[in-house]
Formats: sequence, C-alpha cells, structure tokens
Amino acid sequence: MAGSNKRIAKGQELADITTNPPEGTKVKLADESNIFIWEVLLDGPEESVYAGGHFKLKLVLPTNYPFKPPVLSFETRIYHPNVTNDDKGSMCLGILRSDEWKPPNQIRAVLKMVRDILVTPDIDNAVEGAIAELYKSNRKWYDKQAKEWVAKYAGKK
Amino acid sequence: MSRSRSFSRSPRQSIQARFGFFDASQQPPMPIHSSSNPTGNLLEVTFPPAELQRSMSSNHASLRGMRRLEARRQMEETNYLSSKARSQNLNPPVDLRLLDYVTPYDDNLMCPVCRCAFIDPVVLVECDHCFCRDCIRQTWATTASAYTPLGPRGDCPSCRTPAKLGARSATSKILVNITDDLVVRCPNSEQGCEATVKRGEVQDHVGIYCGYSKQECYAEDCEQPVRRRDADLGCLHYNVTCFDCRETMQKAELEAHWKAKCPDRKVACPQCQEPILSRVLDKHSREMCPAVTVSCPGAVLGCTSRSKRSQAEVHAQTCTLAILAPVLAAQKQRLDEQEVVQRTMSRKLEVLESGFAAVEEILYPKHSVQAKEDDVRADERRIPLLLEDGDSARRRHTRLESTDVEDMDEQFSGFEFPSPTSSRPMSSRLIASLPPSRPAPPPPGPRPQDLPEPFSTDFDMPFPSAFPPPAAHGPYVSPLHHLLSMHEALRDELSRVSTAVQELDGRQSMHTLNENLRMREEMGYLGAQVTGLSRQVGWLTSTQLQRQQHQHGAGVGSSAGGGGMDGIAGAGAGVEAAVSAVGAAASALRGAAQVRAQARRGHSEEGRTKL
Ligand SMILES: [Zn+2]
Ligand SMILES: [Zn+2]
Ligand SMILES: [Zn+2]
Ligand SMILES: [Zn+2]
Ligand SMILES: [Zn+2]
Ligand SMILES: [Zn+2]
Ligand SMILES: [Zn+2]
Repeated sequence: MAGSNKRIAKGQELADITTNPPEGTKVKLADESNIFIWEVLLDGPEESVYAGGHFKLKLVLPTNYPFKPPVLSFETRIYHPNVTNDDKGSMCLGILRSDEWKPPNQIRAVLKMVRDILVTPDIDNAVEGAIAELYKSNRKWYDKQAKEWVAKYAGKK
Repeated sequence: MSRSRSFSRSPRQSIQARFGFFDASQQPPMPIHSSSNPTGNLLEVTFPPAELQRSMSSNHASLRGMRRLEARRQMEETNYLSSKARSQNLNPPVDLRLLDYVTPYDDNLMCPVCRCAFIDPVVLVECDHCFCRDCIRQTWATTASAYTPLGPRGDCPSCRTPAKLGARSATSKILVNITDDLVVRCPNSEQGCEATVKRGEVQDHVGIYCGYSKQECYAEDCEQPVRRRDADLGCLHYNVTCFDCRETMQKAELEAHWKAKCPDRKVACPQCQEPILSRVLDKHSREMCPAVTVSCPGAVLGCTSRSKRSQAEVHAQTCTLAILAPVLAAQKQRLDEQEVVQRTMSRKLEVLESGFAAVEEILYPKHSVQAKEDDVRADERRIPLLLEDGDSARRRHTRLESTDVEDMDEQFSGFEFPSPTSSRPMSSRLIASLPPSRPAPPPPGPRPQDLPEPFSTDFDMPFPSAFPPPAAHGPYVSPLHHLLSMHEALRDELSRVSTAVQELDGRQSMHTLNENLRMREEMGYLGAQVTGLSRQVGWLTSTQLQRQQHQHGAGVGSSAGGGGMDGIAGAGAGVEAAVSAVGAAASALRGAAQVRAQARRGHSEEGRTKL
C-alpha cells in the first residue's frame, strides 16, 4: 500500500464524503472491492438550467492519488461547454488538470467545483467550443437546449 | 542511514542521531532509501567527523588504517542490518499512517497531502508550508522535476511557490515532538493488545514489549514465529483441532482462530448484544434479532408503524391492518389465479366465436354484390383482428405453464382461421366434392326439412319456423337477407339436382355401351351360324351332284347326258336360291339390330330431354 491509498482508505476522505456528502451529491464506491472508482450522483443545482436533472458521474482516482489528479467524467449526457459532448463525458475542470492539481485538494472541493460550473460554466476552459460560443451569443437558445437534454437524458434517477 | 547511526557516537550530533533513529524505525532499511535521501547525505557531508578530516590530510599509512577501520565498520553494519531484517520479517515496521489515534488532534497537525498527523515533517524554505517528508518527496517525484545539485526542489503543493526543502529546523522539531506525543492504539489491537502508547513509542512497543507481536520460538530447531506472550509456554508448533469447528491448526494459532476466524465462535450481535454464533449472525440480524427495526406486516396496506422486532409482535396483535394482511394477501392470490383462468377462458371463447363465424360464413355466404362487398369489408375488419388477437394471445399464453394453455395451443394449431379470400372458393369446393353416388346428399348444415319445391316457392308465404334460421343467429337481419338466403338455398338445390342428372346420364350411357356389346356378340354368333349353314349347303350340293353323275353313268345313254346336265343346272339354281335366302336372312338380322340400336338411341335422347 502506497501512502496515496492510505489517504483514501484511512484518511477518512471516503468515509467523510459518503456519510456527509456535499450538498446535492451522493457518493459511493462503484464496486465495493475497488476503492479507486467512485460513483457520484449529482442533482442539478436549483439555480441552474440543469435543475431537476440527476447526473451520474464517475470519479477515477489514480493509484498515486493525491499526487495525481482524479479523473471525473459524466456518465449521464449533459449539454455543457465544459463536458465533452460524447459518451465519454470527459470534463475539463481547472483543478483537475495535472498541471493545476495540488495534492492538498480534496474530492469534496472537486465536487463543489462541478456544481459551481453547472451554475456558471467556465467558458475560458471550454472543451465544446460550439456550446461555449452559443452560451456567449444566444443564452436563451443554450438554456433551452440544456433543458431539453436534461429532460431527455437526466430525467429519471 | 546506518552511516548516520555510526556518527551518532559523536556527541555533537545528538539531534541528528535522534532523527536518524526515527528514520530507521519507520522506513525499511533498503539501500535505495539512503541514496534517495539526499538531504541526509547532504547533512553528512556538511559535518564530516573530525577524525576523518585528520586522516584525509595525513600520509598513506594512516590511509591503510582508515581502510581497515572502514572494513570493520561495514561488517558491523551488515550484521546489524541482517538481524534487524530478521526481526522485521516477523514484525514489519509500523505504518504510522494506518494508526488509530485515541484522541483527536488539531487540524493544524494534519499534513494536507496525506491528511494524517505529520510524519517526519519538513518545512519548505520559501513559503513555510509544512508537509511530511515522504509526501513532499512523492509530490516532487511525480511532477518530473529536474534533478538539481542543490537538493530536491519543486513547487509547494499548497501554494505553488517554487521551493526547496529546508534544513531540519526548530519548527519541525516542535512539530515532531507534538506529533510523537499523540496517543495511538497498538496496531495489534485487533489481535487483543489493549495498549495505547505515544506515537513516538509505538515502534518500540511493537518491537520490544507488545505481547501480541511475533518473535522466534525459543525451542531448538524451531524458527517459527510465536506471540511474545506465548513464547515462555514452550514450543506451540504442533497441530491441534478446534473443538467447535474441527479445523486443524497449530496450537500457536488456536487463540487467534477462536478470536477472529472460527465460524462457531460466539460474537456479540451489534444490535442486541446477545452472543450469537458468528456463522448465523447474518441470519440473526436479518430474521431474528429483536433489536432490529422492522415495519408492521400491514405495511403493504398502509400501516406506517416501525418498531423493534421485539415490540412488533405486540403491535401486530393490535394493528387491524396487520391482522387483515394475510387474509387480503390470500385473496389477492386467489384473484390473480382467477384472472389467469379467466384470461384463458376468454381466449377460448374468442376462438370459438371466430370458429363459429367461419362456419356461418361457409353455410350462409352472401351473394348480392352489395352484401358481398359489405361482408368482405366486415370480414377484413373482423378476421384479421381476430387473427392478430390470437397470435398475441398465444404469445402471452405460452408464458403461462398450465395444461389449459397447452390445450388451447392444440386448438390453435388444429384450427384454420378462414380468411375472406378463401371462404368463397371453399364453399364451392365443398359442393363439387359431394359424393356423386348419393343421389340427394343432406344439406350441409342446419337446413329446413320442409324446404318448398324449387321454382315454386312463394316468397310471400310465411316462412316455416325452422327456416330461415332465427334472426338471433346474425345473418338474417333484414327481409333482403331472407330473400338472399332463400335464393342461396335454391341455388344449392339446383346444383344438387344437376349433379343427380349428370350421374343419371353417365349411368345411361354405360348401360347403352353394355347393350351394344351384347348385340355385337349376338351378331357374331349369327354370322358364324350362317357360315356353318352355307358350308352345309355346299356339302349337300356337292353330294347331290355326285349322286346325279352316278345315276347318269348307270343309264349309259347319250341322251341321258343332256337330261343330267339340266338336272345339275336345276340343282345349282336351287342352291343359289338357298344361298341368297341365307344372305337375305342375314341382312334382315342386321336390319333388326339397326332398328334396335336406333330405338335405344331414341330412348336415351328421350330420357335426356325428359331430364
Ligand atoms: Zn503527509
Ligand atoms: Zn507553500
Ligand atoms: Zn501491543
Ligand atoms: Zn516452536
Ligand atoms: Zn474453530
Ligand atoms: Zn441481535
Ligand atoms: Zn401496523
């Protein structure tokens, strides 16, 4: 066991986040025997266009966590400038980039950041340029599109 | 590291000695470690022992002495390392990050990287942020930092300031003292050790004092590990069998087996604290534990009461819903069964209905163009629907496993659903295939016995009670339909009559053929008789002629010759007359036969016209 796993297993990070998750999220292991893959259920924040949606995310911790950033992806499709518009649902989140990642960061902060970008997309770090462009130029249409996707993909739990 | 241990004899470096020991206690003494500890090396180079400095500046003889000294030191070191490795094989170094802290500690004592109380903390020179030495080293190892001769450097994990490791300073010394004073549980607590010790002393506790640590068996030729507290009991490395589960193991293992592994050991139920066999604990908490909260049996009916299992009984006795629950459940089950049966029955009914409709269609097809079109349209609406229903129902029913359904399926496979296109040819086929030998086949289906004579039916007369079929049967809903059905019946009758006539005709011609044959035979017989007669006549003639010649010869008169000639000629003429008479008789016979044949032909023609 390297020091990294100790932080997940012993450092109460998982226990803490499962028993006392950040607002609007639920965290559990996707597979009880593998502490490196977490399943996150995220409710669309009420103040965002994603309100009412229930999104499933996958958080994969590298074996040398926390020295390398975790990888977060949307399993539920979402119309968002910071999430790739494909089945992978990869995320571009500032603090998750390996050059930006700091070992002291915690998963709790990551999840909070995800909720924050659902409320306010991080246009400068967009991975879907077209959606970012639409967000800037025609906000109404973007809202409509995002809501349609919520109804289509993230409606049920 | 061991080198730093040897330096520790010098009183000048007591602080380093302490750190050196601390390092050794928490990290495996692998050679790679001492080389990956550049700071330590740096420190050693900074403070070389005074005696070494002296020998460096002296001559070759002292150099030889120094080499000898070095060799001895290396031997000591090897011995020390090997003995340490042996003891560490039995008791691996305590991983301070996995310890249970007895008392909560201040968040400021927590390394932000490993989120654990600082272990060998270091302070970064530029920003004064503090981390475990291991944590900062790992961080910098993963961020491809270039090697710098001035020691490891990189960005601070917290504030990203480019930084390098500072020398061990007073700050970290205080931190070390504080964190070493945190009280932790012995890592053997699961095996039974209840000791709580300061973190700084936990390695000593495990290595020297803890009764639950392993050490080598004292017995001769037995190097197997034994718990320190059992070491004085003599060699425990013989096999015993657990009383409860019959598993065989070494005596030294038995206690641990009872404590944690034996499936027949008693454990306290976490809910009710009752001692329960560990292998039934799951079942106990699922089904029996009185402390588990269960919901009322009437929950399906809406009772929201939840109580401990022990009190659930009391509640269930008073709760109306709980009392009703089994009754209602039984009823629901019966309802479900009934529904299944009913579905089967309705399917059967459907099949029968459609079959009935098909039979009706065959019996009473409609002939008026308008009616036919209506009917076809109605059929197109009805029969495909039925067919579709049948298919889907069959799919639905194959899932049920009742014999009823199998019966149903047999019915399905045996029964042909008539389609609107095939129903009409079917009825005509039926008529054509009626057996010709039966002069008046019974009408196909329920037909009136007292059907009025064809062509003479008075359509205005009141219908007999049996004809047409009651209006409730469906097809006869209007006077037009009455007429149509009557018409259809007549048509049937007509076709039957024509069949009978055809049959009669066939029989007649057969009869004629037979008669002709017999006549021809008779004629042949007569012909043969005539031939026989003529041969007889010929013979008679020739004998007559011979007799006359003989008489003539006896007379011997030349004149008699003429008279004889005349007699012969007369006889010849008589014979000729007889022959022609026979021919006339034959022609008369032939004529009679012809007359007879003509008469028969006339008779058959008469019969045909009569028909
Ligand atoms: Zn640390
Ligand atoms: Zn810093
Ligand atoms: Zn102990
Ligand atoms: Zn022994
Ligand atoms: Zn046992
Ligand atoms: Zn219990
Ligand atoms: Zn109740």
